[in-house]
Amino acid sequence: MAAGGKRTKSVQQELVMDMTPMIDCVFLLMIFFVLVIDLSQQTLEDLILPKATYAVPDEKPPENRPVVNIMQDGRVIVKKNVRYDPARDGDNLSPIHALLVEMRDNIPKLDIKKETVGGTTMTLINDPLLIRADKWTEWHYVGKFMEACVFPQAAFWKIELALSEDDKEAKMLSKARK
Amino acid sequence: MASKTMDQVQEEAKADMTPMIDCVFLLIIFFLCIDFKVLEAKLPAYLPKDSGAQSTHADPIEKLSLKIECVSPGRELPRPNSKSIYREGHRVRYHVGPTVVNDEEALVKELRRIYSDRSKWTKDDKTGAPKPQPIVIEPGVNAVYGDVAVCVDAARSVGFEDIQFGGGLGRGKKPAPGAK
Repeated sequence: MAAGGKRTKSVQQELVMDMTPMIDCVFLLMIFFVLVIDLSQQTLEDLILPKATYAVPDEKPPENRPVVNIMQDGRVIVKKNVRYDPARDGDNLSPIHALLVEMRDNIPKLDIKKETVGGTTMTLINDPLLIRADKWTEWHYVGKFMEACVFPQAAFWKIELALSEDDKEAKMLSKARK
Repeated sequence: MASKTMDQVQEEAKADMTPMIDCVFLLIIFFLCIDFKVLEAKLPAYLPKDSGAQSTHADPIEKLSLKIECVSPGRELPRPNSKSIYREGHRVRYHVGPTVVNDEEALVKELRRIYSDRSKWTKDDKTGAPKPQPIVIEPGVNAVYGDVAVCVDAARSVGFEDIQFGGGLGRGKKPAPGAK
């Protein structure tokens, strides 16, 4: 009897599976994917923004806020798609106008109003458009985009310029010098 | 009997390292990922609602001109581990109305002085309440986004709310890569 009891115990010990490592691994994977594949960051290109000294932190940006990235070579990128390339489009601003109309039509809950300004009926968008450009992007690229923003069919007249709370470039350079 | 006791003692002494290693991994991943998510900031500005020539009459409003003059465009150098560039030795100076200032600190000081002069304030169209005059930022040749951001940042910090953009688009002769 005693020998039989021991055997049952050892069988039970073998059957008990330790779930801890598996649960740990699952948690690790979950955290990894949550942090890496953050959907809200998809609209943001990897740019080095100028450092803000006094700007308001962009803590809770509205979900429907349109975001435009302007690269150093003047390319306008929205959700990973190049929508305007100065090398390809030159002074032709119609790709930007098409982009603005697309934003007006596809972004939900935008505050849109029709207003007559100087005899012209304008479709004014009262929600801000965030412009993210690299610290060293030549201003004329940004200026040209802003010029295009005053488009009667989709006039984004409120803009926000993106800055960083951290001087990423200085950190990068000091790291490289070490 | 004696050997059983030894086994038990050995079992008790064996520390389970799994949770500690897990925690270390968690911390490594956390700190790795937090580096990429630097909080951004924003500076609001306004564009004119209308463009081109207008037939309607408008009263002239005194605006404060803030010109950005690029003293030295700087040397284009590649950023480490990146396809982008940075400009070493890029220098600008700011023309706040007739006054010229050379750095951000002096710019804030000058803007603060102008802001405190209430005689220059305009009246709000709707409420009639006094408000600071609009600022027009005019980036010159070779000005970059970072230079304009400094001006907008400084103007907002002082209290100017109506920030507009004007002047040329700042396109200039690009220095050859590596050239002084």
